[in-house]
Amino acid sequence: MQKIILIVDDEEDVRESVRTILTANGYTVETAVDGDDCLQKVQQIKPDLILLDIMMPGKPVSEIIKQIQDIKIAFMSVVRISDARKRGLCSQPNIVDFFQKPFNVSDLVDRVEFILNG
Amino acid sequence: MDANKFRIKNLIFSRINRKLTLLVIVALLAPALGIYLFYYILTSSFPSGLFSEEVALIKTTAILIIVLISIVNAGVIGFFVTRSISKPIRDLHKATLELEKGNYDVKLDIKTDDEISELGNAFNLTTEALSRLENERKEIDTAKTEFLSITSHELRSPMTPMKAQLQMLQEGYFGKLNKKQKESLEIITRNSDRLDNIIVDFLEISRIEAARLKFNFKEIDISQIIDETTSFMEGFAKEKNIKLVVNVDKIPKIEVDPDRLSQVLRNLISNAIKFSEENKKIEIDAKLKREHILFSVRDYGCGLSSENQIRIFEPFYQVESSTRRKHGGTGLGLAICRGIVEAQKGKIWVESKEGKGSKFYFTIPLEPIRKIEPIKVLFSSKKLIERKICEEFKTILGPLGNSEFYELKSKNALGKEDIFEYIDSLTDLHIIPHEKGLNFKYKIGGIFGEEKTIINKNNDTTYCTPEEEVLGRN
Repeated sequence: MQKIILIVDDEEDVRESVRTILTANGYTVETAVDGDDCLQKVQQIKPDLILLDIMMPGKPVSEIIKQIQDIKIAFMSVVRISDARKRGLCSQPNIVDFFQKPFNVSDLVDRVEFILNG
Repeated sequence: MDANKFRIKNLIFSRINRKLTLLVIVALLAPALGIYLFYYILTSSFPSGLFSEEVALIKTTAILIIVLISIVNAGVIGFFVTRSISKPIRDLHKATLELEKGNYDVKLDIKTDDEISELGNAFNLTTEALSRLENERKEIDTAKTEFLSITSHELRSPMTPMKAQLQMLQEGYFGKLNKKQKESLEIITRNSDRLDNIIVDFLEISRIEAARLKFNFKEIDISQIIDETTSFMEGFAKEKNIKLVVNVDKIPKIEVDPDRLSQVLRNLISNAIKFSEENKKIEIDAKLKREHILFSVRDYGCGLSSENQIRIFEPFYQVESSTRRKHGGTGLGLAICRGIVEAQKGKIWVESKEGKGSKFYFTIPLEPIRKIEPIKVLFSSKKLIERKICEEFKTILGPLGNSEFYELKSKNALGKEDIFEYIDSLTDLHIIPHEKGLNFKYKIGGIFGEEKTIINKNNDTTYCTPEEEVLGRN
């Protein structure tokens, strides 16, 4: 069965780029545009992995992740991991990776593969 | 200048003069009054025919009383002069010195109700104005740093989909590419990488300027960091068959941020590789010097002229405009190095000779600096050098140094050669002794990053190496 990945980013170009990459590598991809949309989609589709941008307008990311405890989350961010840590975003056990934007395509594919298939 | 101010009328009727006149009158009147009273008492109380000894005794007592009155009088006058003139002037002087140090909150409270208190009020208004300007300057400065930080983030976000799409094209996600298309994509990729590097460097500079640079200190062996960094850089050095020679003294383990230290070293080594010809070597040294560890990266490349030595740490300054195209890089590397080193209260400088190569030095403290202060990285190198020169002028020439410095500055004569000429004129006129002149030249040369050998020719008495000199100035 194909693994489902949910991409959450307020920028359409980023969502579509990541969707193209991951679809081409055999994943089922869904997208969400903000925090509320993300929480709704999580209920509907039960993804295996969420790729979550940590800087989005609307609901703060710290609140979104509090409501998702049993699904793996990987952050995508322009700011560095040290900034994310400082905001206390990296302490949950289901946060599994951090993709520094702009990311490298093959690196993204490899790491997603590793997260989902071990 | 208003000539009216010096008219007799103004001089007489100035309030401070009135006060002084009053004091002089009192000073003269008091003993005169004493003498008059004495003779009055003498003539009215004692009828004639008294023994001459008694008269002599009374006269002596009178003189003593008059002397006493004079002394008390002098004391009283002294007190008034001090209270209404000397003390306010001293206060004013103190306040001016405070102001020079940059303390704009200094306030004068002079209640003498004369020209001096007017001067005090004018001084207070001036400090207020200065303080306002200083606050405005700070606000603009913060706004600049904020702007830099925000724009850099904003510039960086479009890079993400751009680079992703480019890589997908290159990796054949949308079908096979022909040779021309591949070449075209390579050019786009190379330039988008360069753009991204500049943005990353901008972000780093905005962090340095806002004191948001992060240091993660770990107790670590310095030689380990150097070894890791050099073996990483060896990959690049091999392309030009350059040998990296490492020479590290025995240094105790210290607390340092290994990533930041490595960042500075990588930058210096990568510059050294860029400006070296093939088959040359690059020497990387580290040794213990007082409270610092002194690192150096020496190349045998093209070297730098004096002008370039001053300006090399400025952002976007490249020795020639052609070198940027030839050697790549963002032009911000050394400015960032300076920011990192100075955030740890270290020094970074270069010694170089054209055609012979350059040696970059930097220091890090044995005790890490945890409280990071903002550092001006953008557009400040020239000012920094001017400040150093001004300080040197003040040390050698005393209070006169300041005005002499500004005299030279107004003549636009702060180049190294100009200052050397000026020092020569001082020694020729015997204003300062020859030895002192040489020392002066040596210090100025140091600021301009001059190699020690040039000046050492004439001055082998009290000689210390430029690195000790720079450390000593800390």
